[in-house]
Formats: sequence, structure tokens, C-alpha cells
Amino acid sequence: MQRLRSLTDTRADDFRSNDGHNRRLAAELKERQRIARFVRPERDIERLGRQNKMFVRDRIEALLDPDTPFLELSTLAGNMAYDGEVPGAAQVIGIGIVSGKEVIIHADDASVKGGAWYPLSVKKIVRALDIAIENRLPVVHLCDSAGGFLPLQAQFFADRYYAGRIFRNQSVLSKMGVPQVAVVMGHCTAGGAYIPALSDYNVIVRGTGAIFLGGPPLVKAATGEEVSAEELGGADMHTSVSGTGDYPAASELHAIAIARDIVGRFAHPEKSKIDWVDPEPPAYDPDELYGIIPKDPRVQFDMREIIARVVDGSRFHEYQPRYGQSLVCGFARVFGYQVGILANNGVLFSDSALKGAHFIQLCDKNRTPLLFLQNITGFMVGREYERRGITKDGAKLIMAVAGASVPKFTVVCNGSYGAGTYGMAGRAFDPRFMFTWPQSQVSVMGAEQAAGVLTDIKLRQLARNGQELSEQEHAAIRDPILEDYRLQSSAYYATSEIWDDGILDPVDTRNALGIALSASLNAPIAPPHYGVFRM
Amino acid sequence: MADSSFPFDCVLIANRGEIAVRIIGTLRKLGLRSVVVYHEVDARAPAVALADQAIAISGRTPVAAYLDGEQIIAAARSAGAGALHPGYGFLSENAAFARSVEAAGIAFIGPSADAIELMGDKIRARNFVARNEFPVAPSAIEEEDPATFVERARAIGAPLLVKPSAGGGGKGMRIVRDLSGLDDAVAQARSEGQRYFGDGRLYIERFVEQPRHIEVQVLGDAFGNVVHLFERECSVQRRFQKIIEETPSPALSAQTRQKICETAAGIARAAGYRNAGTVEFIYGRGEFYFLEMNTRLQVEHPVTEMITGLDLVAEQIAVAAGRRLPFAQGDVRAHGHAIEARLYAEAPERNFSPTTGKVLALRYPQGEGVRVDSGIAQGQTITTAFDPMLAKIVVHATTRDEAIARARRAIEEFVLLGCETNAAFLARILGDQGFKAGEVHTGYLDENPGIARGGSRDTDAETRLLALAALLTRPVRDAADAVPPLHASLGSWRN
Amino acid sequence: MHHRFDLDGEINELWLSRGPAGYHLQIADGWSGSVALIEERAGHGRLVVDGKSEQVAYVVDGDVVHIHCRGRAYAVRYVDPLLALASASDEAGHNVARAPMPGVVVSVKVTLGDTVAAGAVLMVIESMKLETPIRAPQDGVIERIHVRDGESFDRDAVLATLSQGNG
Repeated sequence: MQRLRSLTDTRADDFRSNDGHNRRLAAELKERQRIARFVRPERDIERLGRQNKMFVRDRIEALLDPDTPFLELSTLAGNMAYDGEVPGAAQVIGIGIVSGKEVIIHADDASVKGGAWYPLSVKKIVRALDIAIENRLPVVHLCDSAGGFLPLQAQFFADRYYAGRIFRNQSVLSKMGVPQVAVVMGHCTAGGAYIPALSDYNVIVRGTGAIFLGGPPLVKAATGEEVSAEELGGADMHTSVSGTGDYPAASELHAIAIARDIVGRFAHPEKSKIDWVDPEPPAYDPDELYGIIPKDPRVQFDMREIIARVVDGSRFHEYQPRYGQSLVCGFARVFGYQVGILANNGVLFSDSALKGAHFIQLCDKNRTPLLFLQNITGFMVGREYERRGITKDGAKLIMAVAGASVPKFTVVCNGSYGAGTYGMAGRAFDPRFMFTWPQSQVSVMGAEQAAGVLTDIKLRQLARNGQELSEQEHAAIRDPILEDYRLQSSAYYATSEIWDDGILDPVDTRNALGIALSASLNAPIAPPHYGVFRM
Repeated sequence: MADSSFPFDCVLIANRGEIAVRIIGTLRKLGLRSVVVYHEVDARAPAVALADQAIAISGRTPVAAYLDGEQIIAAARSAGAGALHPGYGFLSENAAFARSVEAAGIAFIGPSADAIELMGDKIRARNFVARNEFPVAPSAIEEEDPATFVERARAIGAPLLVKPSAGGGGKGMRIVRDLSGLDDAVAQARSEGQRYFGDGRLYIERFVEQPRHIEVQVLGDAFGNVVHLFERECSVQRRFQKIIEETPSPALSAQTRQKICETAAGIARAAGYRNAGTVEFIYGRGEFYFLEMNTRLQVEHPVTEMITGLDLVAEQIAVAAGRRLPFAQGDVRAHGHAIEARLYAEAPERNFSPTTGKVLALRYPQGEGVRVDSGIAQGQTITTAFDPMLAKIVVHATTRDEAIARARRAIEEFVLLGCETNAAFLARILGDQGFKAGEVHTGYLDENPGIARGGSRDTDAETRLLALAALLTRPVRDAADAVPPLHASLGSWRN
Repeated sequence: MHHRFDLDGEINELWLSRGPAGYHLQIADGWSGSVALIEERAGHGRLVVDGKSEQVAYVVDGDVVHIHCRGRAYAVRYVDPLLALASASDEAGHNVARAPMPGVVVSVKVTLGDTVAAGAVLMVIESMKLETPIRAPQDGVIERIHVRDGESFDRDAVLATLSQGNG
């Protein structure tokens, strides 16, 4: 495979100014993550101490094998919701190594509102379990939640993918033979009690952990019975009388040691075999990504420059290099795994859509996972293009994306708009993992465009009534729409809503993809199988 | 030695550990059959495997078995042993036992019972030596007049050493530097004398400050010939227990050496002493006083063998067989310098607490001028049933500095895994400036507790130990092997 | 969770990982570097730490690795986290009297069921010709006496177990 030749001049002015800009964005991301992860009101930290509980991240560090990576997902979930008072949606999820095995960890963060489940918390947990199902990853639950946040129950209780989905997913995981172990470090009340109950194994910490469908206050209100939490659902009762609990633990660290020992018993998964050779780092310095990503999101850049700084040895075998040039397709390796890359160098045309659909099928037959690098404003519009069948060619691309059996991974590098989002394996198309970059945007159309369309509608309405607007009045209508749009299409908004699995610093993309690829291979890859391609 | 045969062809060894192995070695050389008695806990000891015959003995405790004279003599009879070597400790200085052995028609390889009795009673011995005009420390003997005992002691003046008269090996001894503490010291020494030796009688003598322990090896035959085989210095002691011995003593001038050695030979001659023995002196500031005589082979005899080229056990057997000493004083020459270090199953860093374990790996240092007398074997369990001495590391070289260097290397090369020992402590003593300058006296180690405690932590060594332990521990290695290579290559990366 | 090793009474936490070039050791909050052991014959080999090699002799006996290195002998004990974390709180709930050194029981002074105060003499042991009293670490009731008069024991052996005095 040939090495890509970069045409970037790292001493050019625009490289330097992009570099400064992107490094600032990366620093901002780092800082916002740090705050979401660690900054808590003093009283919440004190309360944990009084309750003899460890901070969630200390629990996770003790659970993980030392000196191994942890890919945290959706760190900034909820960052633009609930007045910013529920960082991470009070949940920590991520993929790590426990006793040598790849697992996904789901941990309640009791330092945030006692670990209560807000609507986004439930969404985050469901997402974690969906990842577990799709990738057949064993799950470790670190349970310590105050229960559902009742004022918002309408947003997390009744619907299909709301809280019930957590327990449905757990049952399906068990059915699939994917093991789960729950460590009960707080009260698992009502619905929450089902997490340890539906896990194949569970460990309860004596004194702080408890499992009950109704807690002491509820029991007292319902029947007048007065009973302590420990008596009602504590470690000793459940592990020796009811059999709901498997292992009592003397302390949180003891419980974590037991959980590690349990994970050590899980059978080694049979990993899907895909083409692999010894890894090599990219020939170009990944740090140069900061200088390549344009400061102005409207400026086009060559995706090959990105690819060269993400893949092994910067080697890339381009497919149909001279046809459909607005979609770059080709083979490369990430951490030794061969992948097929589709990356946007402009708007999608018929030829690029066809090329993409064809390439996806080649990769599927070849058992090569797919990596989508998005920078797409959409498909080309216009009379000429419609006549040539751009709509049906776009449909073929979408059909291929939806039908591909190999694992898909998506990184939103810049813009992700309209049907382009679909054609490039957006969230709805089940990429195993989807990440974004700090400057990325996701919405049905660009902010300016949307603001323009909506303002036009308004203007025409007023014109019908004989009104005309001044420049200022025009701006007064357009600007708020623009603001809203910009906010709601930002990477931080998307990640807050858990429309993706997290914002990455661009230089972390390679490592994240390596971990994601390795995780995805725990599930078998079905044979290629598609719907009807409208020819 | 090899020309005529002995009146016995089989010797019973009434001892254990390294000395039993040592004696068997010489018996082999002399073409004599060896029989050893052993208690069950010593069943895997090397002497049992090496002897031509081994006979089990029993007792209320293991030590009691080796103190059971009747059982041992019965064993000797049943094996047809014509001679018996008592080693050191146990019954070696028990006059009644020596008599019983002789009465049973078995040659006791040691002095006469009378000599044992004389020298075994510290007070009688001291009086005998004084009467024969050999130097003794000013003293007060309780027995002579119990009423005035403490007063007479007070009259000698401080510093004083209070000793149980039936004692030995340093037990029950007390130093009194301030006479106001004399009464208490007397009471305590008496109670300990009663407890350990069954005899509360005491004697008190002048204590020499910073005393050095100098002893002289003597050898006599049944014809009245007595020679000395030079001195040994045994001042490296802790609580009166010897740790390192050497010869020649770095403290003595040639004249003093000659005087002390001749004094020792004189004492032995005056006592009509037969076979091997050691006369111990206290030396300080140019003066020396008779301390006691040990009527047996001593633990540290190898250093004398190294400088003289003699086999003392062989000489003992020859004397017991009725032969004349084959050499006169003028024939005996000393060459070079020898040092012995005693390896103990104890932890000096933990207040000399005894240690136990199993000998999992054992390798002795080799090479020119290195000798190891060992009582242990691979696979043997070390318990607190007996004295904790495991082995003696003995070296010989041309000069004292070379001997010290050789001893340090030998200790480093001595591998014993599975039971903690005092090896590091021995190395620290040999590396100590005071020792190297030849300035050690019997109180030196007690005055310098830092040598026992050990140096500061060596973090570099600790890292290596943890590295090796990690590599050899299955759960640790398995955990390392279990992590997929991709994740291992990323280390503790976080996004 | 790191591995724990007891060296000279101190717990050291570490982790061993494996890279393409071999094993790598990380001592918690301390040194890290490459490590390797080249065994030359049973129990003897070369230990290579960060490229520096030296001869070592070693024996593994259960959880203890005995090592002879640079002229000295050491024992390093692997501490199973499950045991350490479980018993850390077990002993918090139990009163256990352990032997400070190897020795022999001279005489036991209490019987099953006796209530004793902290510091009360449970038995007298003898070691190095010195008699030492073994005392109750806390108030409690004698639950079990593990040794008899005349019996010998090793260092750290449990001599007596007591339960909480008043619940």
C-alpha cells in the first residue's frame, strides 16, 4: 500500500492560524471535560465521604487493569441540559480492560444529584447497553443511584426506549450469552433493583449497598413496617437468605476486587477474524491535524490530509481515484486492522454516491470494517442533477450504508448536514461508534441557510400584509434564529443530547478508533445482505 | 597416622548439626566407621545421611534426647562403637557422662572426667589457676563467705561482672558500673542462675572495660605432653554470644601473644590436661586474666586448623587412642590469617528474633581459602528446637585484609533461600571500620546497635526485587499476558 | 487494581504489562521500566532491569519468592487482594493474638469463654530463652485457643481468637 504524500505546508500562515485555533478548541474541550468529570460542589464530595463511598472515577480506576486505556463515551452528556447541573448526566460509561478482558463499564455518579436518573441518564445507560449488545461486550455495572428524577418522569419512564429498555437490554444480553456483573455500592431501589437482579453476577457492599423494590420510607408508608435499609435489602440478607445477591463484600475495594475476579472467569470471546498485520504509527505527525482543519468551517480541505495522520504508516490504497472525486474511498489500516474509508471532499454527486455504494459492497464482501469521515453539506441539487438521477443514486448509497454487515465507525470532522448525514452513516444508521470533533456541526441544513429560509418565510408573510422591513428589523428576526441554530447544531449540543458517543480531540481519533475496532470484533459479522438498489 | 590401627574401629558421635558432619569427615579420612544418634526432627539433617549408621533417640524435647546419656551409651553399645565424640555443648562437659562412657568400656574422646569437673566449676577452676600463679581477675566468690560476699565485691571496686558460678555461654551475667546497682544485679543474676543452671551461687570479678576475648587452643596427650596451637580472638560478640572469630588476634603484640599462649599451655599442663581444650582469657589494656577453660572442642576450632594445617578432630581421636602427640611446641607453626563467621537463623534487624523456614535453595561459596562447615541440607526444615547456628563460613588468606575481603565475598556467595539468616549482619560487621581497624572489644556490637539494625533502604535493590518477584509470580504474569496487545501498547491513555 | 507485594513488612503496589519488546514494570507512584528474566538453569538466571543485567538465584514457594541478589537473601510475598481486602475488615471485627516471633508455648492462662480486657495475659511463650506474655489486643471473649502448652509455632501464627466483648 502506498504512502500518502502530504501537500500541507506546515509553515504557511493559514496552517499556523488553523493550528492556534484548533489547539484552543482542543484545550476548551479538555477543560469542559475536566469540569464535567471532577468539579463538584463541596457538599456533594463531603456527603460521599460521610457515607464511606468512593468517588466514581476512583472506583473505575480501581476496577480497570492499571496501565491500560479507558475510552470514555459521552463525557459531556447533559452539558446543555438541566441548567448544567447534571454533568455527564450523572453517569460514566466507557470501554476498558478488566482482568485482561474488554468490557463496557456503566457507573452511576453519586457525586451528581446522588446519582439520580435524569432522562439523559437513562438515554446514556440504554446507549451503553446497546453498544454492549451490538458489540457483545461484557458489562460491569457500578450501581449507586438515588433512583429516577421524578419531576421529569414523563421523559424517561413510559416510552419504548426509556428506562424499561435498560432492563430489556440486560435480558437480551443475557440471552445472547454476554455476561454482566453488577456491583451494588448504594441503594438499588425500585427499577434500579433490577440492574443487579438481571445481571449474571452481582456483588453487594456491606453497609452501603442494598437492593429493594421499595425502600424503608416506602415500606413504612405502605404497611407501617419499620425496617432499616441493611435489614430490608442489605448484603448479608440477600447473599444468605434471599439469594438475590451473590457475593457480600466488606468494602468497596473488596467488592471491586471480587468483580475483577468474576470478570477473570468470563470465557475469552471468539473475535471475528478480519485482516490484520502488526501496527505502525502514521508517517505524518497527528499533531498536524490542528493545522489542517480550517478555522472557518466553510473552507474545504482535502480529507487525504486527515487520513494521512490517522492511519498506519499513512498508507492508503485509493479506490477509483479519478471517478466521483468528491468522495474519497480507499483501504488503509488502523492499529493493524484493515478498514475501508469513505471521506467527503465536497458535495455528493451521482458519481460519488455510486462509487460509495459500490465501495461499501466491496468492503462488505471483503469483511473490511468501514470508517466514515464526514464533512458533508449534502447532495448536489439542481435540474441537471435530478434528471441524471441524483435522488435514486443517493438512495443507493443509503441502502448500502444501512445494509452493510461489517462494523461501521463514523467521525464527524466538520459539517454533517441533511441527507449527507444519512449517506455517510450518521447516527440512525447504527455505526458501532460515532464521534465528533469540537468544531463539527450536525443539523438538517447549515445555520445561515436555515436562518435564511425561515426569515424568507417570515418576510413573505409580512409582504402579503404590505409590510416591509428595515435592515435592523431584518436582523432582529434573522439573528435569534441564527443563534439558536448555531447552538443546536454545535458539537456540544449534539453530545449533550447523546446524538453521538463523544467529542474527541482530533489527535485522539486514532487511538479511539483502535479501541473501538477491537471492541467491535467481539461480535460476529453477518454475511453481506442488502435490500433493493433502485437502479 | 595411617600406619597403625586404632584400638577402636567405630566412633559414635553424640551430637548433631555441623559438628556431627565435621567429625564424620575426619572419621572417613581415618578409615573409621561413624555412627550418629539423632532425634526425629533431625531425620533429614546431613549428618544422618552421611554417617555409616544412624540411631534414633527420643526425649521429652529434642534437646532432652541429646542430653540423655543412658540412651546414647546404649546406642554406642548396640553399634559396637569403641569410642564416643561428644562434640560441643550437650554432654561434652558433663563429667558424669564422661565417666559413664569410660565405665562402659568406650573411649571418651575428650579430657578426663576429673579435668572436666575441675574446670566445669568456675570457682574451683579459678582458684586452681590462681594457686598455680597464673593471672586471674580480682574477684569475690560467694561460697567462701556468703555473708561478706557483696561487701568483698564492693571492695574490688567498679566496674564489676556478676556471674552464676555454674553458668557458661554468657547466661545470667551482668555488668555493674555503679555500685548502687550491685544489690539488684546480684538478686537478678541469682534468680537466673537458679532458673538456667539449677544453681544460684555467684561470683563477682573485676570487669575489664572494653575487654577483648582471647582464647588459646591447647592439646595434651596421656603422657603429660601439652602444646598450645596459638590463640583466637572472639571479641565480636552480642550478649556474650560469639559471632565472628579470627586468628591471629589483631590486638596482641608478638610478646603478649607468646605470654598468653604459654600461660594457657601452663594451665593445661598443671591440670594434667589430656586431649583438646581451650583456655579463655579477658584481655584489656595490656593485661590479661584467666576467664575459664572449656574442656572440649570449640565451635571456632576451624580457624586454628586453617593457620596450622592440622586436623584437630584427628588429633583428638589419636590422643583418645592412646597415642603421643606427634609434634612438639617448636614444630607448630602458624601461617596467614583465618576468620570464621557464624551463620545463624535469626533476624538481627528484628532484635535477633529467631527465624524458621525450609532450606529451599542452598549453595556454598567455593574457591581457594574458603571452607564451609554446615549442618544443613537442601529441603531441611529449620525450627526453633535447637541452637540457631546453621553453618560456619571460614576463610584463610595471607594477610588480615585479604582474609576480610575473602570472608565478605564468601558471605555474598553463600546462597540460602527459605529461612532468614544473619548474613547481611555478618557482612556489615566485616565492612565496619572498627572491625577493619582491629579495634573490636566484646561490648562493641552492643555499643553500635546500628550495625545490627542495618543501613538505609536501597530503593534500587528493592526495584530489582519487585521486578523479579513480579516476573516469577503467576497471577502477575498472567495478568500482563491477558491484556490484548493493542491496549497494552496504549498504556494508561485516556480521552 | 494493582498487585501487592510485601517486602520487609511494607506493601508495594505494582503492575506488570507486556509490550512487543517484552515486559514492563510500573511501581505505583514510582519507577517504571523494562524488566526481563533470562533463566540459565533452574533457580538461576540473569535479571535485566532497564538494560542492566545481574545474576540472581531464586525459589518460588507458594506466594513467596525467595531471592538471592547482590550477596543478600530476600523474601517477597505476593498478597492476594481478595484475601487482603476481606481480612482487613475481618480482623477489624475479630480480636486475634498473633505470635511476634517463632517459639514454644510455656503456659496458656485462659480458657474458652473467658471474658478478658485489652492487655490481659492470654498465655506465656518462650523464645530465645526469654519468656514473653501474649496479651489480648482488645476487650473480648476467648473464642478459640489455637495452641497447647509445649507446642511450637512460627512467626505471625494465630495463637488465640477472641470475639467482640459486648457485641
